[in-house]
Amino acid sequence: MRSRLAAMTVVTALVLGTSAACGSGDGSSDAGGGTIHVLVYGDAGNKVEKQIVDTFNKTSKVKAVLDTIPGADYQQKLQTVINTSRAPDVFFNWGGGSIQPFVKAGLLLPLDDFIAKDPGLKDNFLPSVFNSAVVDGKPYGVPMRGTQPVLLFHNKKVLADAGLTPPKTWDELLAAVQALKAKGITPISLGGGDQWPTLMWFEYLYDRIAGPGLFQKALGGDQEAWGSEDSRKALAAIRQLVDAGAFGSNFDSVKFTDGGSPALVAKGRAAFELMGSWYYSTQQDANPDFAKSGLGYTGFPSLSGGKGDAADVVGNTNNFYSVLKKSKHPEAAAAFLKLMYSDEFVKAQLSIGNLPTTTNTPDHLDLSASPAYSKDQYQMVKAAPSFQLSWDQAYPPSAMTPMHTAVQQFFNGALDADGFIKAMRALPTS
Amino acid sequence: MTRRTTGRMTRRMTRRMTRRTTRRVRAGAEATRPGVVWALPAAVFFLMFALTPLLLVAVLSFASWDGIGDLRFNGLDNWTALADDPVMLQSVWTTLLLTALGVVTQTPISILLGVWAAGKQRNRAVLSAVYFVPLLLSATAVSVVWRAVLDPNFGVPAELTWLFGDGNLLGSKAGAIGVLTFVGVWQFTPLHALIYQGGARAIPQVLYQAAAVDGAGRVRQFLHITLPQLRNTIITSVILMVVGGLTTFDTVLILTQGGPGTDTTVTSYYMYQKAFKSFDFGTGSAVALVLVVVATLISLAVVRISGYDKMRGTTEGL
Repeated sequence: MRSRLAAMTVVTALVLGTSAACGSGDGSSDAGGGTIHVLVYGDAGNKVEKQIVDTFNKTSKVKAVLDTIPGADYQQKLQTVINTSRAPDVFFNWGGGSIQPFVKAGLLLPLDDFIAKDPGLKDNFLPSVFNSAVVDGKPYGVPMRGTQPVLLFHNKKVLADAGLTPPKTWDELLAAVQALKAKGITPISLGGGDQWPTLMWFEYLYDRIAGPGLFQKALGGDQEAWGSEDSRKALAAIRQLVDAGAFGSNFDSVKFTDGGSPALVAKGRAAFELMGSWYYSTQQDANPDFAKSGLGYTGFPSLSGGKGDAADVVGNTNNFYSVLKKSKHPEAAAAFLKLMYSDEFVKAQLSIGNLPTTTNTPDHLDLSASPAYSKDQYQMVKAAPSFQLSWDQAYPPSAMTPMHTAVQQFFNGALDADGFIKAMRALPTS
Repeated sequence: MTRRTTGRMTRRMTRRMTRRTTRRVRAGAEATRPGVVWALPAAVFFLMFALTPLLLVAVLSFASWDGIGDLRFNGLDNWTALADDPVMLQSVWTTLLLTALGVVTQTPISILLGVWAAGKQRNRAVLSAVYFVPLLLSATAVSVVWRAVLDPNFGVPAELTWLFGDGNLLGSKAGAIGVLTFVGVWQFTPLHALIYQGGARAIPQVLYQAAAVDGAGRVRQFLHITLPQLRNTIITSVILMVVGGLTTFDTVLILTQGGPGTDTTVTSYYMYQKAFKSFDFGTGSAVALVLVVVATLISLAVVRISGYDKMRGTTEGL
């Protein structure tokens, strides 16, 4: 799901494209302090990371150097460099499964000691977010960008024209699908060609029907969870929605990343799209007028009789900074991480449209580019009993391709429930 | 060794060798067939960038390695897993199918275009130049453009619903394979037409003149003179198509990402998924080796069947 971030800010990746791609590994020439290398995903967010590094360097003897890897190949390049002498000291990641292989290889520093010295490194962040970088009971990451919950977006005008209000329950959603279909409008826009947008429907329906526990059990190694009755119920609900024609019939030929599915909603040819919170800026870039007045959003509908709380959310909890064990300046790294809950950091993130997950974020929400949107999201994330990290981020990278394939095949009918369950059971969990 | 020193060494070597050959020629010694040393730069290059990686890949295919941490040899585990992997076998068939479709569709079109372009008609140069435009575009650009053109909601299918239905071209197996074949034709026909143009130009005019005297029309001339005369050109072009088809990657990556499901997952894309998406370099290497073996067998078969290894001349008796 690297492509989500890429999609958000493809163009701006070029801005920093010229800065050094990899750590030069050479810090010996600095008198006294030395350097720590901070490796981040190259995109628009780098503006803030650069600012924070500059702030850090003003007071620190050990100087931080910001290295960016432009483009969507961040994970691949990180994997190549991380066990070499050119490895960074601190690096950007998605938490969960994205760092699990590094933890297993013994490359990462558990942050327990840092937190013991400065409890703020944990207490100043929303727990549901902080916890998604906890691996085997130990924290390995500090949130360093914005949270990206998945919301159900809609075209206000299309709904109004069909005499509908944004659905609060599953039944209302099904009714809306029928009403919209009757008017010749594709009820829900889906970029199935990218595969991960399809996965979002599974994430939410499994949560609403089976509760967040089922996925956690499966991820923990209990593959039988996929075959449980709740799992089958969730699959039946998905099947029901697809068979009702909610997504039209050509969703696998449409992509989110090339602007196809958002354009359907903006032009009023589809009513809904389930997407991460970056959708707002996607529409702002492509269809500014629509983003301003026509774009609405709600949380995912509740489902009566389901075990999941209607306030649960799924998505990308945040991005994280993790520290390498072999860093020569762990105390400098710790000092650097402390900046991730500073007022300056929060303000800077808000100014570029990101929503930080620190406890002091609400104090600054008025500075956000779209305060109402930011406030709603923050409340949603803060109130969520469970914030499930996207499945393909929670599983180790080796599970991503087979998971995406299974999801796409179940949606288009190539796999039945048994086939899907079999595919999910076969996923590697560690 | 830096590139510059290699360059300098090669140059020095070349100079020395040139001197030696000229001396030999002057001495009137045996024929001036170049020595083994002449092959050295290419051989070293091939050794470093083809054979060595191939050997390393072979070793890796018996190991489990995720790019970090230590390499762990696991015997035949990767291979037995692949043997049980339905996607592996399916990917080989998909690759072969796409290759065959490529040859079958591209060959006739490029022969006709190439032979036509070899003539002396009015406007020929201008039209040929237009036909050859796709040759100038990178495969990535070609794929991105076609992806946009074939978008079901905002591309051509949206306007021609009587032809494309709901436009779900990339969402069905037949549609996706059709699109890949079509884009292949669009992209590679110019190259092969160019090859055929050269081949057709080399056909002696006297053959046509003699045939005309005997009363053969244009069609008969084409079937009985042009085609047989182009035999070696056809073999060359087909081999290029087969090799290109077996290693297709960029169009699949951009147009279909192997989907829907795994319907267009060709072997090279499956290798990429295993190695660089799942970071399972052991299995990825095994997939790569399968591709190497399959491609080698097919190339050998083509060479054997076509008589390419003998390469008989087409101008005997002229």
